[in-house]
Amino acid sequence: MRSGRILVVAGKAVAVAALLTWSLVPIAFVVMSSVKPGQEIFAVPTVYAFEPTLEHYAELWRRWGQFFDGLIDSAIITAGATALAIIASTCAGYVYSRNSSRFLNASVMFLIVVRLIPPIVVTLPLFPLVNIMGLNDTHIVLMVLYATFFVSLGTVLMRTFIDQIPRELDEAAQIDGAGRLTILRRVIVPLAAPGILAVAVFVVVFAWNEFLFAFVFTATKAKTAPLVISEMIGSIDGVDWGILFAASTTQLAPILIFVVLMNRYLVAGLTAGATKG
Amino acid sequence: MAGLRLENLRKKFGAIEIIKGVDLDISDGEFVVFVGPSGCGKSTLLRMIAGLEDITAGDLFIDGARCNEMEPRERGIAMVFQSYALYPHLSVFDNMSFGLTLDRRPKAEIEARVREAARILKLEELLHRRPAQLSGGQRQRVAIGRAIVRKPSVFLFDEPLSNLDAALRMDMRMEIARLHKELGATMIYVTHDQVEAMTLADKIVVLDGGKVQQVGAPIELYKKPANRFVAGFIGSPKMNFLDVTVTRVADGSAQVESPSVAPVAVQASGFAAGDRAVLGVRPQALRDGGATALGSIKGHVSLVERLGHETIVSLDTASGERALAAIPQDATYEPGSAVTFGFDPGAAHLFAA
Ligand SMILES: Nc1ncnc2c1ncn2[C@@H]1O[C@H](COP(=O)(O)OP(=O)(O)OP(=O)(O)O)[C@@H](O)[C@H]1O
Ligand SMILES: [Mg+2]
Repeated sequence: MRSGRILVVAGKAVAVAALLTWSLVPIAFVVMSSVKPGQEIFAVPTVYAFEPTLEHYAELWRRWGQFFDGLIDSAIITAGATALAIIASTCAGYVYSRNSSRFLNASVMFLIVVRLIPPIVVTLPLFPLVNIMGLNDTHIVLMVLYATFFVSLGTVLMRTFIDQIPRELDEAAQIDGAGRLTILRRVIVPLAAPGILAVAVFVVVFAWNEFLFAFVFTATKAKTAPLVISEMIGSIDGVDWGILFAASTTQLAPILIFVVLMNRYLVAGLTAGATKG
Repeated sequence: MAGLRLENLRKKFGAIEIIKGVDLDISDGEFVVFVGPSGCGKSTLLRMIAGLEDITAGDLFIDGARCNEMEPRERGIAMVFQSYALYPHLSVFDNMSFGLTLDRRPKAEIEARVREAARILKLEELLHRRPAQLSGGQRQRVAIGRAIVRKPSVFLFDEPLSNLDAALRMDMRMEIARLHKELGATMIYVTHDQVEAMTLADKIVVLDGGKVQQVGAPIELYKKPANRFVAGFIGSPKMNFLDVTVTRVADGSAQVESPSVAPVAVQASGFAAGDRAVLGVRPQALRDGGATALGSIKGHVSLVERLGHETIVSLDTASGERALAAIPQDATYEPGSAVTFGFDPGAAHLFAA
């Protein structure tokens, strides 16, 4: 009994340690390498005692100004995509939660199924269309694309959250003179805020890191940071690993901070509905 | 202030008709209580008046204006929900001022109206709290406060006290009665608590199966129930119903009897000799010692409940029915013993079988 419990605790500890190693070591490697003097980055055996330096960051700033332009583009696109996805999912989730009809019930299934199709299959045929509309190489096209990928998941998630808000609150607000939009804005949104933040985390992480669609649909004017990083790897005068790691760290930092801050809501989002009978 | 008129009001959910043609007149300032068994459509009818449910057919007039298609806010009503339905993310003050803010009233007016409602309901100390930090009774008062600040001409209550414990329920009942007097507004109140209905109402509307069974003052319903349903529904313990046969009819009266009921003439019309009928006698109308009374019921004592101020005697009659007698004092009865209870025929009712 006692030794059994110790085994369980030890097992858990090992599992957690393995998981942490698995997810943290690459990050630690990138971050550490970004402040290592150039020649020590790939030294064997690995150098742990080194003089930290910001030379790679300075070099990144000097030689890859477009990386910082890319960060700005990424930020704009991420913000736009997140706002779009949140607005669409919240409105749709509200409708799904408060209304029911055969068509609505069937369309939920459709929302989930459509999400299983590889996005690239549906998206690539859009390329000529995007071109005709003159949206190629704009922020808007990526905002809309990224938001679209998360509207189905976001809608289902928001519906689950809004289902937990009693309908009498809508009715009380209706008696108080609120129309549908006012109810949504003043009652539903504040009470479903954790759900909205959870959706936001999904979209932000995806939009900030996405490479493939950015590669297909943008060239210069809306080039995102991950694209610039890929160019660093393919650079003709050889890869400067120090700069690459500095760029990766810079790209990683804001998202890491964001996710850590939102962690609480993310967990709430992933388990929403789990305790609802 | 406003009166209401309901004309042949109907409600269908899908193919099922829930409200089957309700006609009702409610005058300005009246306190009307809807009672009826669970599922009879009380809430549905109230929500139709509120504008939360569409009206399938018929007309609803508030203050003379037809308002079938009006939004709730245009009807001049306010509603208090059984679950209180307070906005959890807003303070008590903001809960009460929500409607006024939507109306874009001046800040000073909002402040004044909320303070006034808080004073009436003794909520002044709690204005900055969130609903989660309040007791059940306080939440209920906030819900009522939210209704008051809108100065509605009609208040709608859907079982507002059913989530409270007995003592608090009595306090709140008196508070609502006081409020009605103070505000003079029309109030429509749904409950299935008889005591609430009897004590609060100017007029009780008894509903069953989506139809109005009887409308009248509480005492009128108690003394002159229009049918067997109302007779059984109003009054506690429930009225006794005994199967009898009509043996003779005279002008305005009928003589009835059964193996357990001695021949007695009661007020009734529309019966013919030989008809089967149901005799209704309230437990409180039964008195020990049938010999001297005009009506009497025979049976064996099956159960005795001694409450001190009252004794409830359960009786198995000779015809295999059960009757209750409420004797207004402490008394002892031997289970199994034969007894006869008498009653005044004037207090008995005769219903069609
Ligand atoms: N939205 C709805 N869809 C279908 N049927 C409904 C709906 N709302 C109510 N009903 C049905 O209408 C009937 C009356 O319901 P209602 O809530 O008015 O009863 P009630 O008299 O208020 O009962 P209670 O005392 O239990 O509150 C019930 O049989 C109920 O199942
Ligand atoms: Mg009800």
